Amino acid sequence: MATGTDHEERTGRSGPPPARRGHGRVAAAISVFGELLITAGLLLALFVVYSLWWTNVMADREASKQGDNVRRDWAAATGPGALDTKGGIGFLHVPAMKNGEVLVEKGTDTDVLNHGVAGYYTDPVKATLPGTDKDGNFTLAAHRDGHGAKFHNIDKLKTGDPVVFETKDTWYVYKVFAELPETSKYNVDVLQPVPKESGAKKPGRYITLTTCTPVYTSKYRYIVWGELVRTEKVDAKRTPPAELR
Amino acid sequence: MYGWIWRHLPGNAWLRAFISLAMVLVIVYVLFQYVFPWAEPLLPFNDVTVDQGMGTAVR
Repeated sequence: MATGTDHEERTGRSGPPPARRGHGRVAAAISVFGELLITAGLLLALFVVYSLWWTNVMADREASKQGDNVRRDWAAATGPGALDTKGGIGFLHVPAMKNGEVLVEKGTDTDVLNHGVAGYYTDPVKATLPGTDKDGNFTLAAHRDGHGAKFHNIDKLKTGDPVVFETKDTWYVYKVFAELPETSKYNVDVLQPVPKESGAKKPGRYITLTTCTPVYTSKYRYIVWGELVRTEKVDAKRTPPAELR
Repeated sequence: MYGWIWRHLPGNAWLRAFISLAMVLVIVYVLFQYVFPWAEPLLPFNDVTVDQGMGTAVR
């Protein structure tokens, strides 16, 4: 009985339903729009999680695997001879950055750097590798955030801090002598064999670290220069130089 | 939109909740595995090298 009257009541009012249906359509459109906005927000949040956390997880895993391979190759290779350096030429140790060892590979393309390593420049100015024993600039790039974030703490590096590069046979100990906290991303002169902007005047054996700044963006580049102070032969136990102890 | 999906899932509330969770996980997986790696180089957050610009923009 009650349902019957209810039904009758509803059908009795012929006016409101169409108006309410129109209203309902607007409300539905607004609610879908709202849900789309929420979805977009969630997507952006997920992207932040991806770039600041997940890429680090993946890159660190890859880099440590690659680093182990290089160390195994070094242990296996006895005596002089061409060493396969495709997996990496050595490790960079920067105590001030507190990030352990950073594998150094050839090239600065995204697919190299995304493996959680530092890359040496082959373009636009070719890096001079320390192993060649020639004057020049050992220029490196690595990510500031995500993909291992190997140069995240580059701003902690100050003049006088050691930067040590480890190859199979030699420790190359550099000392930081200049920092450039912000420069244009087109400033390729920082990579020159004698980087004038650092105050260097004569040919020498320099190292240059480049990454992006401010953190989480790529608007500018952060540059740190060092100069070789000495080299040390690697002993049988691979005892690190005093700077790393 | 979400309400519509919920209404069209089969089963009772528990089953629907389970299917929803599975769908969310699949979507997150696809995003992390395929969509974000594709989108990342297109966004200007992660260029770290100095270069001559336009000619070598694929960095």
